[in-house]
Amino acid sequence: MASGSNPAVQSAPLSNDDIGLERRLELFRLQVEIRDCEKRAHDLFFQNLIKGTSHLSIGQEAIAAGFGVAMQKGDKSFCTYRGHAHTLARGASMEGLLGELMLRDVGLMRGKGGSMHLTSVEHDVYGSYAIIGAHLPIACGSAWRAQYLGEKDVSVVFFGDGTTNIGAFHEALNFAAVWKLPVIFVCENNLYMEYTPIGDVTAVKHPAADRAASYGLERILVDGNDADVVYRTAQVAIEKARRCEGPSLIECLTYRHSGHSRADPGKYRPPGELEEWLKRDPVIIYRQRLKDFGVTDDTITGIETESKRKVDAATATAKASPPAPVEILTTDVYADGGWAWRN
Amino acid sequence: MSDTVLMPQLGETVTEGKILAWFKSVGDEIKEGDNLFEVETDKVTIEIQAVVSGRLNEIRVSAGDVAKVGAIVAVIGGESPAKAAPQPEAEQAAAPKAAPWRNPFEEVSTPKERYGPAKGPGDIRITPLARRLIAQNNVDILRLAAEVKQRGGSRVDERVVRSAMATSPPTSAHAPAPDAPRYASPPAPLSGQTITLNAVRLKTADRLAENWRTIPHVFQAIEVDFTAIDRVRRKCKRAFQEAHGFSLTYLPFIARATCLAILAFPQVNARFDGKSLSLSPTVNLGVAVDLSHNGLVVPVVRSAEDLTVAGLAKAMRRLIDKARTGKLGPDDLSGGTYSISNNGAFGTTFTAPIINAPQVAILSSDAIKLKPAIVSTAEGDFVVPRMIGVVGQSFDHRAFDGAYSAAFLSALKRILEERNWGDELAENS
Amino acid sequence: MGVAELSYRDAVIRGIAQEMDRDNRVVFLGEDIGKAGGVFKSTVGLYEKFGPLRVRDTPISEQAILGAAMGAAMTGLRPIAEIMFSDFLAVCFDYVANEMSKLHYMTNGQLSCPVVIRTGNGGGARFGAQHSQSVENWTMMIPGVKVVAPSSPVDVIGLMAAAVRDPDPVVFHEHKSLYATKGEVPDGVIVDTLGTAKILRAGGDCTIVALALMVPRALEAAATLASEHGIDAEVIDVRSLVPLDTQTILGSVSKTGRLFTVEENPRLCGWGAEIASIVADEIFWDLDGPIVRITTPHIPLPAADHLEDLALPSAARIVDKVRRVLKA
Repeated sequence: MASGSNPAVQSAPLSNDDIGLERRLELFRLQVEIRDCEKRAHDLFFQNLIKGTSHLSIGQEAIAAGFGVAMQKGDKSFCTYRGHAHTLARGASMEGLLGELMLRDVGLMRGKGGSMHLTSVEHDVYGSYAIIGAHLPIACGSAWRAQYLGEKDVSVVFFGDGTTNIGAFHEALNFAAVWKLPVIFVCENNLYMEYTPIGDVTAVKHPAADRAASYGLERILVDGNDADVVYRTAQVAIEKARRCEGPSLIECLTYRHSGHSRADPGKYRPPGELEEWLKRDPVIIYRQRLKDFGVTDDTITGIETESKRKVDAATATAKASPPAPVEILTTDVYADGGWAWRN
Repeated sequence: MSDTVLMPQLGETVTEGKILAWFKSVGDEIKEGDNLFEVETDKVTIEIQAVVSGRLNEIRVSAGDVAKVGAIVAVIGGESPAKAAPQPEAEQAAAPKAAPWRNPFEEVSTPKERYGPAKGPGDIRITPLARRLIAQNNVDILRLAAEVKQRGGSRVDERVVRSAMATSPPTSAHAPAPDAPRYASPPAPLSGQTITLNAVRLKTADRLAENWRTIPHVFQAIEVDFTAIDRVRRKCKRAFQEAHGFSLTYLPFIARATCLAILAFPQVNARFDGKSLSLSPTVNLGVAVDLSHNGLVVPVVRSAEDLTVAGLAKAMRRLIDKARTGKLGPDDLSGGTYSISNNGAFGTTFTAPIINAPQVAILSSDAIKLKPAIVSTAEGDFVVPRMIGVVGQSFDHRAFDGAYSAAFLSALKRILEERNWGDELAENS
Repeated sequence: MGVAELSYRDAVIRGIAQEMDRDNRVVFLGEDIGKAGGVFKSTVGLYEKFGPLRVRDTPISEQAILGAAMGAAMTGLRPIAEIMFSDFLAVCFDYVANEMSKLHYMTNGQLSCPVVIRTGNGGGARFGAQHSQSVENWTMMIPGVKVVAPSSPVDVIGLMAAAVRDPDPVVFHEHKSLYATKGEVPDGVIVDTLGTAKILRAGGDCTIVALALMVPRALEAAATLASEHGIDAEVIDVRSLVPLDTQTILGSVSKTGRLFTVEENPRLCGWGAEIASIVADEIFWDLDGPIVRITTPHIPLPAADHLEDLALPSAARIVDKVRRVLKA
């Protein structure tokens, strides 16, 4: 991590930095781009260009970015319907994402899946899943495949605090622990299960971390709004899995700035709570972090400007894209591309 | 018609084959039996021959490519069948993509044919298969229904129809021939063959049955003395033929008289909808035309009340020609308000025709021939030969009753017998 | 080419082994399938032959079993997952109804799910209402899955092979009461084709369509109908509900004019209702009488043997119904 020769850095405070400038810039870029793209999605929804439903991750960017940078090509991610951030963090294009939200032909799945099912195998995004908890066992299966074939990739599965109370969560954790699978379970605890405070419906205070012991796993509870913390935690878990030492369960504390979905303004939150958390906005935290590590304002602004430009370009592309041709109504029900249930 | 060449079944467990080579190119003329292509499976390599002749219009699976058993690999002859809808770009080229299959809203194909009602005369039930066989073989459903009821049954199924077909020939439709007799050919010996209804018969069969079933028909007839008309006809015959190219029959006179009679009895020229009678302001006269024993159509002369005898003759002639050459359009067949069925060609005495709903009546005329009639004079009553024909009317008894119909027929008779037809024809030929 | 007599349950073992021999990506997971050889002894020997990495015993976690099978399939393996009793499909039905079946479509073809879910289906074993159901129709009605239910040992092997080789999720309904039955099986590799029905007995008076346990009963009924009542029935083993071999069924009913289905499922929305509706539509004009479905009544199944036997369609009940309807 050279310092003096890099024009991005004005002084040299970067000694002892395990993360390094390049990765820090990447962490920041991802968070900023996710933030900008999600905000654009929010606006497009209110312009009725995004139809159906949309679950935004504004305020939770650090988790997606931290893991996104820690994962390597070939590591497979599985997320929920709140998956825009995770899809972008693995490198999927913004126009593919916005296009899919707008249900156009340029979308990642040409509009056939929609916001809740974002998938880009090219970027190792192995699906976004709308049924709570369903993808946890699926991630275990991917990990089992790696273990069986001796492949070195890990499977990372993201889910919310509410998921920790559904049956599939418990089955998956037990399964992964017993079979010692290379899977990492990441709980994004944003304190609310849909419209209900998670504490009202969970028997333990920390819905994931406090259950790890039930599965013989280590209790891991971290600040989900600090991308560095998330990155380091991810690294440790991923390395452990790659060494065939089994699964990890990580609870990241965070907060979502907008409502659960769509036009939910989140009025069920106690007054002052949002404001408190806004002070811990991950993007603000990380901008300051970059400055602490000597990154110039120009570099930071450059990233932010470029992000907005990308979002605008992607929006234009997505808007210009037509809806998919109607022929695809019946394609790809089966792997041969067709849908024939009879002869 | 084009024929599709399919990847053939090459073995019980073989699901696909690879085409190694094509022996013909697009554009080649193929004869049945020619080697078309060579295909390889994991079990065998084999040459496939054409089973039809024609021009090889299209090769859909090229040499080197794999196709599933049953897939279309080429098209021979005629127009190519509609190409598969364009496929979206394949994200992964791994497995051969399936061709678009059915219309998503036609996963199950409903048959387009209709074969007659499920309930027959006397409320007997007819199975779908029996209905089809009855229609396709022109089986006399009335007779069949009677037989079934007589046996105490209430259902006609395949067995009943087939045994009826075996014991009696198919009946002809209620089709009158308005013109000179035209025998298609000398009658064939009994052959027991199955005669499938042609398209016209099929279309009219249902309608006839429905009309018969739903309208309470009453038939009345009256004898008419056509002697005066006959005299006029014979006088004008040659001139008319020269002027118009066809001969003048009784039918235009009857048609003219009918229009005139309708003026006094408008209820026969009406629509009945179950509750009320809508009198028509015009006479659109349907004329039943027999298509050489191959079906019956009733083309319509519009606003017939405005036409003279000659005009009617010409209009009807045009329609009959069109009918006989299959050139009738939907306008020719719709909008009729009253119909005439002219059956005289075979010498019959009277005919009770079936009403064309939603009309309420239909006129019939049969053979007009010399018959003895009584003429009363001051000197006494004498038997004289006169040209006599029976004119009848089937009418819907819901629309009006016998007295009205009889009065109409009476008026019609008077017009036919007493009108100055000579003047009419002389004025405008 | 030799032929041997094999039991249905041994055919299951042979079918799985045939595919695991052929393709290293075929793996097998389920409850008590490995060391114990399966609760129905339908997987005996596989653990010993292929080892604990390929034949894995799981906790009692139906959702994890199907979810893991799906995840493994999505990423490169060809898993066979056992759901011990088909009634338990209800416990993990999310994976059949929402996940596996819709994956390929929702991802626009990016991901597919070549899983075989084999399950012990059907009644007659006195297991009571929650362990005896015939649920082929539950799986038939989800777009995106394929469904087979073999009735004979040779079909078990051939359809298992076809199912494993198929790139789509296939639910393979084995019948618990057929495990002990025997049939002739040729030597060597056997591979059948999904989506094909078989005419097991040709006839001209009526068509009887049956599935799984109902197939031998339909054949028995047809023999009685012929010898005692002069009725010559054509018997079709549907074998595959999705894809459905409508051409064979329609061809047969076009010829005979009469259709009967024999279904072990309770009446409402049984698989025969779908076939009846297709026939009544496409070949309406070939029907010479009403289509009649012979089914278990619409009740939960009792445990008591005499009651269960009464409920499921028997050969005698089939004979009686066909005879009465045709002679009416």
